[in-house]
Amino acid sequence: MSTATEKPHGALETLRELPHNVWTSIFRNPLPSTDLERSSTSFTNFFLHIHPVKVHRNTLRPVYTLGLGLMSLFLFLILIVTGVLLMFYYVPSTTQAYDRMLDLRGTVAFGIFLRNMHRWSAHGMVGVVFLHLCRVFLTGAYKKPREFNWLIGVALLLVTLFMSFTGYLLPWDQLAFWAITVGTSIAAYAPFIGKDIQFLLLGDTSVGQEALLRFYVLHVAVLPAILTLLVAIHFWRIRKDGGLSRPEGSGVRDQGSGIGERYRKPIYGLQGFVRSSFTKLGNVSDESVFSWPNLLLAELFVFILTVSAILVVSLAFHAPLEQPVNVMHPPNPAKAPWYFLGLQEMVSYSAFWGGIGIPGLMVGLLALVPYIDRTPHGVGRWFARERLLANTIFLTLVTLNVIFIVIGTFFRGPNWTFVSPF
Amino acid sequence: VLAWLSSVGLFGSAVLAALSNVIFFKPRVTYGQPAIFQIGKPDDYPPGTRIARESERICIVREGNKLAAISTTCTHLGCSVAISDTGFACPCHGSRYDQDGVVTGGPAPKPLPWFKVTVAPNGEIEVDKNTQIPSGTYLTV
Repeated sequence: MSTATEKPHGALETLRELPHNVWTSIFRNPLPSTDLERSSTSFTNFFLHIHPVKVHRNTLRPVYTLGLGLMSLFLFLILIVTGVLLMFYYVPSTTQAYDRMLDLRGTVAFGIFLRNMHRWSAHGMVGVVFLHLCRVFLTGAYKKPREFNWLIGVALLLVTLFMSFTGYLLPWDQLAFWAITVGTSIAAYAPFIGKDIQFLLLGDTSVGQEALLRFYVLHVAVLPAILTLLVAIHFWRIRKDGGLSRPEGSGVRDQGSGIGERYRKPIYGLQGFVRSSFTKLGNVSDESVFSWPNLLLAELFVFILTVSAILVVSLAFHAPLEQPVNVMHPPNPAKAPWYFLGLQEMVSYSAFWGGIGIPGLMVGLLALVPYIDRTPHGVGRWFARERLLANTIFLTLVTLNVIFIVIGTFFRGPNWTFVSPF
Repeated sequence: VLAWLSSVGLFGSAVLAALSNVIFFKPRVTYGQPAIFQIGKPDDYPPGTRIARESERICIVREGNKLAAISTTCTHLGCSVAISDTGFACPCHGSRYDQDGVVTGGPAPKPLPWFKVTVAPNGEIEVDKNTQIPSGTYLTV
C-alpha cells in the first residue's frame, strides 16, 4: 500500500529509523567537525566529561609526564578485570587455596594467563606508581596549589603497596606464608599498639585461616574501594587545581605554572571557582588544544602501550608459585616481594628502626614535602636548576632505597648471609 | 543549643563507631592451635635429648630428670628457628641463639621464651604457651 509514503511516521518508517534513533539517543553528537562540536563531545558524554574541553598543549608532551599516572590507572583497570575473573575460581581457605592455584594452571581456560596478567600488572603498578611519584617530585609539580593532591598521591602509593601485600598471601604457597609472617611481625614492632595491630590483621596469633580470610576481604573489597575513591579525588583535584602542571609555554599571556600573579585573582566567570591562570572556557589561551581528539589519542596510545606490554610479559613469563605452605620449614632465605626487600634488608639490622622507624620517617617526610618546600620556583621542568637541593636529597633517598632492594634481592643467600650473585 | 547537642551527638557516635569497629575486628575466639596442649609422657623424651615439635613450634629439652619447653619462634620476625649444633639458628634473617635460647648473633632483640610445663593428672606433659617462665627454669619429672 501507499500508507508508508503518505504517513511519514508509519510502522515501516519507524522500523527503518530505529537504529538511527537509538544511536542518536545514546550519542548526542555526530563525530565532531567544528570546534563547537568538539567541545560538546567532551562535556555531553559521561565518560569524556572527566576531561576539560580544552587542555594546555604542554601537558600533552610525552617527555614531560611520560604517561605514568595514566599507566597506573590502566594497570589498576587490568587488575580489577583480571581480579574479578580470578575470584570466580578462588576460595580463601587454607585447605583449598593452593589447589585452586594449581587448577588455574591446569584446568581453568586462560586461568594461568589471567593469573600472570594479574601478578605482572600488580608488580607493574607498584613500579609505575613509584615512578609517577618520582616524576611529580622531579618536575616540582607538587607545589601550590597542588599540595593536597600530592598527599592523596602518597596515600595512593601506600594503599597500592598494601593491596599488593594482601594479595601476596592469597596463593597460600611458601612464599606467601613466610612473607606475610615476616611482614606482620614487622608491624608488631610498632610501639604500644604493634601487637594489637598484628592481632587485628591476622585475627589470630599466627598466620592461618583467619588471616587468609581477612587478607582476602581486604584485597578484593575494602582496599579496591578505598583506592577507587582516592583515585576519583586525585583526578577531581587535577581539574580543580588548574589542570596538570606543565612546562612553561612560549605564550605571552599564560605563564603556565598556575601559580603566577593571576592565581590570586580568580576569575568568577562561568567556572569561576576553578583555581587557575588557565580557564577552560571564555578565557581561551592560544596554547590550548581540544581534548577531542588530542588528549584522547594520547590516552589511547598509553592504554594500548600498557595493555600490550602486560600481554607480552604474561605470555612470556609465568607468575611464580612455590611449594604449598609448610608451617614447619621456612624457606632459606625467606624473602618478601621485591619492593619490600629494601625494608627486609633494613629489618635485618634492626627490626624497629628498619621496619617502623625509618620507613615511618620517610613516609612522613614524603607527605610533608609540599608543606616544607614552599618556594614557587621550578615547576613544570625536569631537574630545574632552582630545585637542585630538593632533587638531590630526593634522588639520594631513592637511590639508597634501590641499593637496599638490590642487596636484598641479589646479594642475600641462606641465613641472610652476604653472597655474590656472580 | 540544638547545634551544640547535635554536634556532641555526631561526635559521640563517631567515637562509638570507631570503638565498635575495634571490638568487632578483635576476635573473641580464635580457631588456630590451642595455646595449652599435651605432648605425651615424660618417657617419650629420653634424658639428654632436644626434640623439636615443629607443628607446635616448641623444642622439648630433657637433661637428666629435668624438662623444659623452649619456643622455636624467632623473636625477630616470627620465622621457625632450626636446631643447630650450637643451639638455634633462624633461616630468615640469620639470628642465632645458644642452647638456652640466649641471643648470640643476628638481629633478634630478645631470647627465645621458655614456656610453663606441668605434668597433667593423666601423666602427660602439658605446655602452656600463654605463660612464660624465666629461662633456665626446669620441671623435675
